[in-house]
Amino acid sequence: MIAARTLRKIDWMALALIVCIPLCGLVVLYSAGFHPGGRLLDLAIFEISVTSAPFAKQLLFLGLGIAVMSAAAMIPSDIVRRSAYLIYGIGVILLVGVALFGIVSNGSRRWLPLGVVTIQPAEFVKLGVILAMARMLSEHPPGRGGFSFMGLIRPVLIFLPPMMLVARQPDLGTALVIGWVGATIILFLGVRRRVVVCALLCGALLAVPIWRGLHDYQRQRIISLFNPDLDPRGAGYHINQSKIAVGSGELFGKGFMQGTQTQLEFLPEHTTDFIFSVLAEEWGFVGAGAVLFLYLVLFQRLIMVAARCRDLFATLVVFGITSVLFFHTVVNIGMVMGVLPVVGIPLPLFSYGGSSVLSTMFSLGLVFGLSAQQRGGR
Amino acid sequence: MTRGQSQNGIKGVDLRSRASLAAVVVALSFGGLAARLWFLQIGQGAVFRDRSEHNRLKTVYIPPPRGVMTDRHGEELVSNRPSFNIEFIREDAPNPSVVLEKLGDVLGIDKAVLAERLEKNRARRQRFEPKVLLKDVSRDVVARVSSNRYALPGVFVSVTPVRRYPYQEMAAHVLGYLREATKAQLEGPLSETFLPGDLAGQYGLELSLERALRGQRGKQQIVVNALGTRVGELASEPVVSGHSLELTIDRGVQEAAEHALEGKRGSVVALDPKTGEILAMVSAPAFNPAIFSGDLSPGDWSHLSAEKRMLNRAIQGTYPPGSVFKVFMEAAILAEKVASPEERVHCPGSYWFKGREYRCHKKSGHGAVNLRSALIQSCDVYFYTMGQRLGVDTIYRYAAAFGFDELTGVELDHEAKGLIPSTEWKRRAFKRAGDQKWYAGETISVSIGQGAVSVTPLQIARALGSVVNGGRVMKPLLVRAINPSNGGVPDRSVGEPVVQRQVPVSDAALALVRSGMVGVVNEPGGTARRAQVDQSFGVMVGGKTGTAQVVGLKRRELATGKEAHQYEDHAWFAGYAPAEDPQIVVVALVEHGGHGGAAAAPVTSEVMNAFFGGRRARLAPSGEASTEHPADSKEGGAR
Repeated sequence: MIAARTLRKIDWMALALIVCIPLCGLVVLYSAGFHPGGRLLDLAIFEISVTSAPFAKQLLFLGLGIAVMSAAAMIPSDIVRRSAYLIYGIGVILLVGVALFGIVSNGSRRWLPLGVVTIQPAEFVKLGVILAMARMLSEHPPGRGGFSFMGLIRPVLIFLPPMMLVARQPDLGTALVIGWVGATIILFLGVRRRVVVCALLCGALLAVPIWRGLHDYQRQRIISLFNPDLDPRGAGYHINQSKIAVGSGELFGKGFMQGTQTQLEFLPEHTTDFIFSVLAEEWGFVGAGAVLFLYLVLFQRLIMVAARCRDLFATLVVFGITSVLFFHTVVNIGMVMGVLPVVGIPLPLFSYGGSSVLSTMFSLGLVFGLSAQQRGGR
Repeated sequence: MTRGQSQNGIKGVDLRSRASLAAVVVALSFGGLAARLWFLQIGQGAVFRDRSEHNRLKTVYIPPPRGVMTDRHGEELVSNRPSFNIEFIREDAPNPSVVLEKLGDVLGIDKAVLAERLEKNRARRQRFEPKVLLKDVSRDVVARVSSNRYALPGVFVSVTPVRRYPYQEMAAHVLGYLREATKAQLEGPLSETFLPGDLAGQYGLELSLERALRGQRGKQQIVVNALGTRVGELASEPVVSGHSLELTIDRGVQEAAEHALEGKRGSVVALDPKTGEILAMVSAPAFNPAIFSGDLSPGDWSHLSAEKRMLNRAIQGTYPPGSVFKVFMEAAILAEKVASPEERVHCPGSYWFKGREYRCHKKSGHGAVNLRSALIQSCDVYFYTMGQRLGVDTIYRYAAAFGFDELTGVELDHEAKGLIPSTEWKRRAFKRAGDQKWYAGETISVSIGQGAVSVTPLQIARALGSVVNGGRVMKPLLVRAINPSNGGVPDRSVGEPVVQRQVPVSDAALALVRSGMVGVVNEPGGTARRAQVDQSFGVMVGGKTGTAQVVGLKRRELATGKEAHQYEDHAWFAGYAPAEDPQIVVVALVEHGGHGGAAAAPVTSEVMNAFFGGRRARLAPSGEASTEHPADSKEGGAR
């Protein structure tokens, strides 16, 4: 039974933010997805005409997301722990399957056809890596002073293979997320100083071969980040238009539905990857700054939740999920403001998209479930 | 859950401090993002606001319909017609190079030519801004492009107004032509009305009355989306058509004058002596102004430069007036009273001065001549004699009073002012002291309109006009009225007659000169019997021939063949009619035409016939003669 004691352990502040941020997102999405003539929305069962289809769909996704989150919160932590390696294993197998039988779309092999459905295992793999690392490290924690070289082998072996597989698709964004979450979990538990120094040196030495190994369009994105005016009609176009959208919002913004960059479609992908630019354009520094603050508070709360968990597995899972969401948030916002490369990562809880909403909500469900359940509380 | 970990930690690792560290990292990251947000929105906000406005706002200009020009009876001499251009929007073509190749195939044009036009000024081009590849193409080209439009993404046909010249070369030098505005025009006083690529008058009235003809371009500030599609309009300024011009030109007279000069080089100017209105102004050979609307080929240029087609001989050609000058000499003689009208001078065929012989054109001599008979027979010796009595500076004074040695002020650019020599001119024109002295012998040449004397046909027409209108030098006019495009009150002030000067010669003296000029055309022994007009008009013509030497007689006698033609005299005739109440002055100049009475007088006769014929047709009852058909006028001219 989920007792009142359990509910009391839920971090209501974080939960409030998790409701509040998507509501802000809905307002922005209404404007970004606005279509004056009304667009026929096909909901499989019935059709309705709405002026902002992404808004309506996102509303449904969020409703569904809350259900998914509640369900995830109710999964006993023991089951989560026990199925950690299983989920990880399935994820890796799916990735191998993608590499062998995947469907190529937009130049990369990300989708796996499974009978009637095609799935993109990336989200699944992220969660698998977090769970597997949490279980592994909670059972084999590093010694005093943090990880030594030898201690690092096991955790690195967990996240490196899926990361490489994803990078080969190529899906640089997801690969970076996997690498990031692996690295932050390790750092959270501590690493000996000379290991850190060596890692930094290795990174510096590997920079050149990695750069060589990137695809042309990936390199182009990084180059255009630092010099977007080099080719304003090509790779730099997205960054330029996004910076114009953000900057032209000034202090109070152009007003709801008044963003010219958005409404006239100068801004690319404005319901998904560049949703933050819409917020900044229409609501200005006041609106965008407020949303930034909400995210900041959310992440501070989630870190606190992680630290307060009774067992290391739960701590590491909560921390890992927080780390992934943080990475997504910072990379996305950094990207639309032209300080980080364009990697096609949506803004969690804000961007339009069913899979993004559902996977985020599921992860947050795990966060609340694991943090609230007493160890051995059954 | 039996692993041996204590709550909230593992051995030696304080997770709370780790979490605090993570919280700091998160806070710093968000601080960085907020700083960036501040920099973009507050620091650079105004810059990006401008750029976002620039993104969505495009200014579209609508070229104003240019004013048309009609003759004095309302017949269109220049109007507008639609012209088809082939344009291309690069962004609409998935592969511009392939499209250009296909377009080249369809039209049989080298792809490289199209590519070059596309690349020209590419840096200044905006996204989705069309580029003109081919100008003023034929309907056949339009048809071929339209039928292949699915294979030619981004290619489209646009329509712009261009000039139409119903009478091709007619009055080309007066009307002028249009061409893309030059750099000087783009930066000149009218710079605000021009955009690069706009058409602007480059010659003739199109140039000098640009301001009136041009109109005001319409301006629309439109909102476009990222695809360059128009989604709204912010502000607009309506297009204002150019004013139309009612010219003083009489199409029938102009046509007759051009017909009379066909195959010749020269000029005709016909004007109304009372008002100064120019009825015809011809410079032959002419050009077709329509060729300037398309792309000029090297062949076109050589055609234009051959025989100086672009030169308006009526105002830019300066020629010695020859004996035509004697008309003004007589006015000076009478006004200065250096001889009475009756005083006779003996002409033995030559005139000796300081041991040098100056020939009369008639070797056997004219015998005893007085003022009137000297003009009728064009006796040189009489004028040599009187020239000596007047002196060059007096001659200059009267010539200047008749408007020589100055611009006439006609509404056309690049007018030449000619030259009347004087002692002062010689001092100014020559550097060496020895050359600055005026020799009395030079006055002899000046008195028969030779030597350094040079005038334009228009100057002669204006001066003769003053002789026949009672001494008023009238400003030559080309425009009667400027009609506003909105149907408002026509501005007739431009067509108001302007008396530029009253010549200091009495009416009686001018009447005596005119009597001589009537004799020139109508009396036995007169030099211009062929200047008479059709007898049915009952009109008497007066005038004076001129046969202007191009080179000395001796040199001409030695020349042969083509060179001989180059040395042939210029033929002049300056006439007016009717003698008792002059309504038209016609001046004809035929370069290297020979004798004025033989080569130029028939030209003015044809022009006057057209003038009086056209007037009769207009005055006749409407059933009898429909007035405005070209065929009718031609008939009139031939009669």
